[in-house]
Amino acid sequence: MRILLANRRELCDNYVMRSTSHVASKDGQDLGHYSDPPLLVLASLASGPKHGHAMIDDIQRLCGTRLGPGTLYGAIARLEQQGWIEPLEPEDRRRPYRITADGLRVLRARLSTMNQFLQAGLQRLEPQ
Amino acid sequence: MKSGVALILIRLYPRAWRDRYGLEYRALLEARQSGISEVFDVALSAMSERIFPTQGGNMERDPGSFGAIVRHPSALIPIAMSLIALSLVVAPIPFHGPPVREPDEGAIGHLWQILMAGQLPILAFFAIKWLRRAPRPALGVLALQVGAVLSAMAPVFYFNL
Repeated sequence: MRILLANRRELCDNYVMRSTSHVASKDGQDLGHYSDPPLLVLASLASGPKHGHAMIDDIQRLCGTRLGPGTLYGAIARLEQQGWIEPLEPEDRRRPYRITADGLRVLRARLSTMNQFLQAGLQRLEPQ
Repeated sequence: MKSGVALILIRLYPRAWRDRYGLEYRALLEARQSGISEVFDVALSAMSERIFPTQGGNMERDPGSFGAIVRHPSALIPIAMSLIALSLVVAPIPFHGPPVREPDEGAIGHLWQILMAGQLPILAFFAIKWLRRAPRPALGVLALQVGAVLSAMAPVFYFNL
């Protein structure tokens, strides 16, 4: 898991998320649209339970992408519906979420696929 | 984001979604800096939620929300008892005119007293159970219950029964 998550910053830097502010663009080029806020939420929760505000900040630190609150909660609602994350007891008005065992399995599978894609893509860039 | 703006934006979402996520979502919006992009993001997500509801409109409610708490028997029964007590006094007025004070309170008077006194332990149970778990929604429900009690007592004092 740690090895796979180590690649996430690299992965995120190469995509522009739907309904997000890409605040850390390296070269200002729009490389296309890749809509997967749920994957970012799962990756953020892989390091421990967090509430919405902490998730936005963590994802921004992770890959420079700032999820909008609507996009974040759209992802949270669907991930919870799928049983990949679960709510914890609220702290004041904020409610933390944690990733479930199913969520970890899905995240691992998705990152493995992306890692294979990344390796294959980088190999093709190597001089023949 | 200002509280008023956050409230307006949250109202764009379907009721079931608001009941489940409204409280925590509002806390998040109020903690964030407001900007056109954030407002646009929330509005777009709300529209998307209305078109493609997360759980087909059958979302499980947040057990700590006002909508969920008010449906508990300990919240509903006292309100129902107060409304029945109110109707016992008010319903005969169109047929028999305003009630008058009599030495013998009669069956209706006793029933009114039983309904009003009988709800006190239920009210206490509700307050003990919910004020710790979800103070704000529980206070809202308690306000409703007190309002119902006052409305049941109002005609009794008005007609000096």
